[in-house]
Amino acid sequence: MAILVGLVLAVVGFVTGTGILGGIRTSMGLEYWSTDMSWSVGYPVALIGWLIGVGGWKYWAVEWFGGKAATPPKGVKRYFEWNMDHKVIGIQYGVTFVVLFLLSGLTAMLIRFELMNSGMQLFTEDQYNSAMSFHGIGMVAVAVAIMLGAFGNYIVPLQIGARDMAFPRVNALSYWLVPPVAIMLIIALLIGGWDTGWTAYPPLSVLTKSGQVLFNLAVITFGLVSILGGINFIATIIYERAPGMTWGRLPIFVWGAFAGSLIAFFFTQGFAAGLLMILLDRVVGTSFFHAAEGGSPILYEHVFWFYSHPAVYVMVLPAFGAVLEVLAHMSRKPLYAYRWVVGALLGIVAISGVVWAHHMFTSGMEDYLHAPFLVLTEMISIPTGIIFLSAIGTIWAGRLWMRTPMLFALAFIFNFTVGGLTGIYLADVPTDIHLHDTYFVVAHFHYTIMGGEIFALFAALYYWFPKMTGRQFNETLGKIHFWIMFIGFQLVFIPMFQVGVKGMNRRVADYPEAYEDFNRFISWSGFLLGISFIFFAANMVLSWVRGERAVANPWGASTLEWQVSSPPPEHNFEGQPVIQGGAYEYGVPNAPAHARMGTAAVTEHV
Amino acid sequence: MNRHLWIAGILWVVFTALALAGAALMNPFPTVGAEEAEFSDHAFRMMTYMGAPVFGFVMAALLYSVLRFRSGGGGEDGPPIRGVGAVPRVWLLTTTTLAVVVMIYPGLTGLAELRSDRTHDLEVNVTGFRWAWVVQYPEGFASQELVLPVDQRVKFNVTAPAGDVLHSFWVPAFRLKIDAVPGQITNLYITPNELGDGATDAAYRVQCAELCGLYHARMQMPVRVVTAEEYEAWVAEKAGK
Ligand code: HEM
Ligand SMILES: [Cu+2]
Ligand SMILES: [Cu+2]
Repeated sequence: MAILVGLVLAVVGFVTGTGILGGIRTSMGLEYWSTDMSWSVGYPVALIGWLIGVGGWKYWAVEWFGGKAATPPKGVKRYFEWNMDHKVIGIQYGVTFVVLFLLSGLTAMLIRFELMNSGMQLFTEDQYNSAMSFHGIGMVAVAVAIMLGAFGNYIVPLQIGARDMAFPRVNALSYWLVPPVAIMLIIALLIGGWDTGWTAYPPLSVLTKSGQVLFNLAVITFGLVSILGGINFIATIIYERAPGMTWGRLPIFVWGAFAGSLIAFFFTQGFAAGLLMILLDRVVGTSFFHAAEGGSPILYEHVFWFYSHPAVYVMVLPAFGAVLEVLAHMSRKPLYAYRWVVGALLGIVAISGVVWAHHMFTSGMEDYLHAPFLVLTEMISIPTGIIFLSAIGTIWAGRLWMRTPMLFALAFIFNFTVGGLTGIYLADVPTDIHLHDTYFVVAHFHYTIMGGEIFALFAALYYWFPKMTGRQFNETLGKIHFWIMFIGFQLVFIPMFQVGVKGMNRRVADYPEAYEDFNRFISWSGFLLGISFIFFAANMVLSWVRGERAVANPWGASTLEWQVSSPPPEHNFEGQPVIQGGAYEYGVPNAPAHARMGTAAVTEHV
Repeated sequence: MNRHLWIAGILWVVFTALALAGAALMNPFPTVGAEEAEFSDHAFRMMTYMGAPVFGFVMAALLYSVLRFRSGGGGEDGPPIRGVGAVPRVWLLTTTTLAVVVMIYPGLTGLAELRSDRTHDLEVNVTGFRWAWVVQYPEGFASQELVLPVDQRVKFNVTAPAGDVLHSFWVPAFRLKIDAVPGQITNLYITPNELGDGATDAAYRVQCAELCGLYHARMQMPVRVVTAEEYEAWVAEKAGK
């Protein structure tokens, strides 16, 4: 209902915005409609209409004008409108991004169908470029935001003993900016798509079709989501910790979320600024990137990668946190080298800001920049190595409980090893000059993003599913999902390394026949990989609707979120939790429990 | 405890040996068509050899733990090993050493080597525009086929027209690429040292390697590396027209 109102107000806003612009344009003797300019003006107005409609007015803005904010409803209804409970927002993010993940995955299937044979089968070149670009930005959005959006929101406040996030209203705002991003990307496809991938390099992005404008508007909005979320996590983790929750006792997932948020907060502006400059070039006629008028295309690459390299750590630092969390609890051992891991996470935050130009070794930038960026990039492997030390040290001699979340967490170690080691070839200038922009890169970043972050995501998802839904998932379906996904993943992406080295470049709708055998194999493996998600989706829907009721602490884990009912009560804790020891004191003789619940009795359901 | 370490250590040696053997036997590369290609493949192999023990280590630890340290989840705790003291320090020292080694060799040394020789026997201008390549030869003619004499060092001046978009000049057989930036000239030095023909070998093609819109995939130009005599004949024929 609220969503419908939001959509109607968005349309009203769009018509009003473009109408006023059209009026001005007509009075100046121009045509009423100019796709680039009309969307740039109509969209912000539509966005405001949308936010008002979905509840931003009723539950928040009305207070600015002396009114009284409405009380949110209970039950299922609250998931479909503005709500400030971090648990509701976590689920909203989770479901939205899983849907976007499946949609972008479906696009990947179409891409693989097209690439099965040399020559064109399903798409035209133009459609291929749009599909590839949509898949790319869809997956990047999922990867950047799902870990923090879904689990950061739901779990972080519970783990630190807080009642909610520091800024619940900002939290609701940042979630409700997400649907417009997805809608705009889909509209962009409908009006003819765009062909600059997710990177939007000018001058092409300045010269190409108008779908690009919608892409830019969508992704700038998405940047806002990321920044607002980042601020909120930073403030929450600094100020909302329960008594006794010192920095040295924080669960490692909270540290991962904190480190990722720092990066999101400091760097996202870069991307947004770059995209805004492209919009200005297109709509207002500036010439930031127009070589013919003194602009510089390479400038954009610097600005873009200044954000987009750190962005991969927004994806992966919370993932590190989640994986280590699952490994420790399901091996029933203290997290190995906890303090070193914290240092490594913060070290990665620091180094991540000074490696961006490793994406530009062939861009024509100044030669003297090559050596420093080679050195700095390879330095990242040092803190990353500490994460591996901790993972291996934690499972070593443990009591490994091989349930679905654990399988995904262990697979993360394998995949990230491959992803990390192949990264060295790309940091090394002499090899990168060959490998850059080939399928070797495609394989590398799928190993890190999909094999790393997305496997971590599934570890987190299965691990926290009982807590978030109050239901237990089906273990058999979970294991089937894992094994098909793990095997399918290797079969898709290992050969991509090979075909890339052999000379197949990326982002191509077609390729020389010499690469056909590889591609056919990759495509069939891709369909196998795709099938795994059917088991996943079935498991999620069936378990959520009629799975067994989950107990409060199915994994017997020590951290705070497991000491309350599944799902947790409305205000998380009945009394004030007090933290009295580390989060991972498994097997430590006479260790105090991590947390003690305050005076009011705490629900221990079932 | 010690027995676990011994067995996992042996596994490590075995996995490393397997990875090294695999790396020594594999030939993932396209045709080697230039000195620079030998050089790049050599660096690629070196990194594979250096990565093998790291890969072997993680695999041994992972596989051994998964097989040996399972439990039914009865809630029994593992030993409270915290990872303080010598182990993380030794680990940090080892990984840092490894990282510094790779930085220097094949990293920085390779980079220096790549930039060392700026002499050339032949200089051609390459322009990329949506969606084709054209080569200007010093004799004053233009060609839509890249023909090069074997064993001569060639300097490429690469560019794109000021109103065009980014492209990237790449020949897989030579292992080098450089972007064609509108309004700017970028350079590449290549010494082809084998004869080759794009008609029969996909590695001998100029392929645009920077997304440039609609026909990016099709933005190719055949490459032929020929003997000095053949080259002269070809130039004479082209220039004569
Ligand atoms: C379901 C399995 C998947 C398959 C079969 C697949 C396949 C592909 C293919 C064929 C491309 C085009 C490569 C190119 O020409 O550059 C691509 C691009 C990309 N994929 Fe995937 N992919 C999958 C899942 C994912 C996931 C889970 C992520 C991230 C979370 C992801 C992120 C990307 C990105 C960022 C690009 C780059 C797009 C661009 O260059 O602008 N993919 N993928
Ligand atoms: Cu990077
Ligand atoms: Cu191109």
